[in-house]
Amino acid sequence: MTTVQANVPTPSLASTSGDAPPDHRGSYVPTFGMITTRMMELTKRRGLMITLAVVTIGIPTVFLVVRLLAHAFDPKSYGPAGGYTIFTSLVAGVLFIFGFIVAATLGCTAGSADLGDGLFRHLVVSGRSRLALYLARVPAGLAIIWSMVATGFIIVCAICVLAAPTKLNDNGLNVPPHLSEVQFEAWSAANADQVICNFPFFGGPKRSGPQLGNVNCGPHGLVIAGTTSPNGTPVTQAEIKAFAVTIAKQNYASYSRLFLYPSDSLMIESGLWVELEATIGFLVGLGLASLIGQRTVSVILMIVLELILTPIFSRAHIPHLINAQRSVVGVAMAHIEPGALPLVFGGGGGGPGSGPGGGRSQLIPETTTEAIIVIVAWIVVWTALGAWRMMTRDA
Amino acid sequence: MIAAEGATAVAVPEGAAEGRWAVETHGLTKRFGGNTAVNDVELLVPRGSAFGYLGPNGAGKTTLIRVLLGLTHADAGTMSLLGYRVPKHRDLALARVGAIVDEPRFPRHLTGRQNLSMLAAVREPAARTRIEPALERVGILHRADDKVAKYSLGMRQRLGVAACLIGDPQLLLLDEPMNGLDPAGMQDMREMIQSLTAEGRTVVLSSHLLDEVERTCDAIAIVDKGKVIRQGPISELLAGTSVVIQVECSDPERARELLERTTLGSQIEDVHLGISVALPAGSGRDAIAEIARVLVEGGVAIYRLQPIQASLESWFLQVTSRLGASE
Repeated sequence: MTTVQANVPTPSLASTSGDAPPDHRGSYVPTFGMITTRMMELTKRRGLMITLAVVTIGIPTVFLVVRLLAHAFDPKSYGPAGGYTIFTSLVAGVLFIFGFIVAATLGCTAGSADLGDGLFRHLVVSGRSRLALYLARVPAGLAIIWSMVATGFIIVCAICVLAAPTKLNDNGLNVPPHLSEVQFEAWSAANADQVICNFPFFGGPKRSGPQLGNVNCGPHGLVIAGTTSPNGTPVTQAEIKAFAVTIAKQNYASYSRLFLYPSDSLMIESGLWVELEATIGFLVGLGLASLIGQRTVSVILMIVLELILTPIFSRAHIPHLINAQRSVVGVAMAHIEPGALPLVFGGGGGGPGSGPGGGRSQLIPETTTEAIIVIVAWIVVWTALGAWRMMTRDA
Repeated sequence: MIAAEGATAVAVPEGAAEGRWAVETHGLTKRFGGNTAVNDVELLVPRGSAFGYLGPNGAGKTTLIRVLLGLTHADAGTMSLLGYRVPKHRDLALARVGAIVDEPRFPRHLTGRQNLSMLAAVREPAARTRIEPALERVGILHRADDKVAKYSLGMRQRLGVAACLIGDPQLLLLDEPMNGLDPAGMQDMREMIQSLTAEGRTVVLSSHLLDEVERTCDAIAIVDKGKVIRQGPISELLAGTSVVIQVECSDPERARELLERTTLGSQIEDVHLGISVALPAGSGRDAIAEIARVLVEGGVAIYRLQPIQASLESWFLQVTSRLGASE
């Protein structure tokens, strides 16, 4: 049994002398202390933090570590862990989508936890502006989610750069990187059989350059007997090399867009894009949970938005609903995706070889300006709705 | 009343209206659909007092506190806390108000100290320096670094009081603060409230525990069905109640007959070894002497004659039953 010590006076009673507190309590600007303690409150949710870390950092890290080990033990069967393709796939397929879900979960928690825990009432009776109480959650939550997503992203970048392959994989062939067009043609001539049997030939009557009549490829990608020249005679080695150079000319454009590892600019653009998606997820989740006052329902709605509605609305051209489809934030985010990445939501329309924005053609049409307006509108509207509910809610 | 060592008087906040009332409401009304939870409440709580807001369950006690604190809006009426009009100057008023509303709940994954840190962060910077003393004062300093999930209800009540104290409040609104406390805890809480008022703070205590209010408070308001039906200092309110005289005597039957012939206007009941004589409100000491004289002259031996002042509980029941009868 503890004892209340009635003879311990509250210490600073004399010092305050009852003056109005010098803390601008009615101001809507949250104090630094409010932000840091809110961060503390969120980070002390051990289960939530572990889950978020596993999804944003653990999944890509485990994936890459497994690839590293597999390549280390059996390099012939398993390719390098890193590289350009792995990077773009992980960014668009894992960090983008999971980052959003994780951020939304954190936002929903930040928006509804005070109500569930009973802390909201204690905070309100302090006289502090309710708007300030709401706004304190924004930097606190963003600091957490940005750092988590950034950590996962940096790990992906580091492994994809450091463990990148030494040769490019172009249409199943290992090709030396950074070749000029002449060098690429020379390499193709030197590896004519494999080029002919693996690279696409965009031939036709109007195509210039030497052609072959009938190409037969063996099991190892080698031109074998039965291959003929256009006039039907058996093909010579010179004709094979000339044909390989023709194919090289046709494929140099796609080759030149292949990289061993992502460029600095692509990593920066992709990082900002993933962080923006996480920011949207957090702010919309915060606003939604503050509005309806429930975490579970809010999280479910956010997941439905990201995994079901957005993929459908981004591709299906629904008459009469096209403007509604454009107003979905995930569709807008897909439109400002760095061009070298594959289209999000499993589209695979972009990526290496497809050219910048190669997957955009599958999306419903929307200009970049419209996409930016949609993104800003989502952030502003949901923040305003959450703040309004916070200010008017009975505590 | 236990005076706290080093207690100092609490000054009136700068800018606050002068006046003797810590809480002042006029015509305050709050409705939930067709139910009027707070009904035209006129309440005056003197500064520096321990004030009991007394009523049965569902009388609207918690709702009134919630309205005063701005946790929900009022439908009509005006109110002020510490001289500040609310909600117009809500931030200034609540800066020096501490409150426990309903059962005190806190994030269970945080420790007691971390919870207070969060609450101190929304108050003035000096609030952080009061966390340690507040925890010590409510007697949970040794458990301050335990998670609230491990706290009992009584400890959470104490943490709630500590949360009030970090704001250095001039006014504390405590809603059923004895809930969940064992007898020793209730005694501790009583002493704490008394020490707070000894420091010049005002404590408004809502409760349905009549005995606790009587032991703790200087003044009370009785609320029933959302409406304040009586208020004032307990001594003044009880002064108008009936006095019961318990008489232990040799012949209770004869005593009853003798007293029924007098003009005292008393109500007489048989009790163990004697009778109980309820005198009307306002009966003076002469009435007691008259009872003794009548019985002695009538040949009844008196072994004990004891006047008993009506308790707050009996008075409360009288008031509410009167109201019930008039409806």
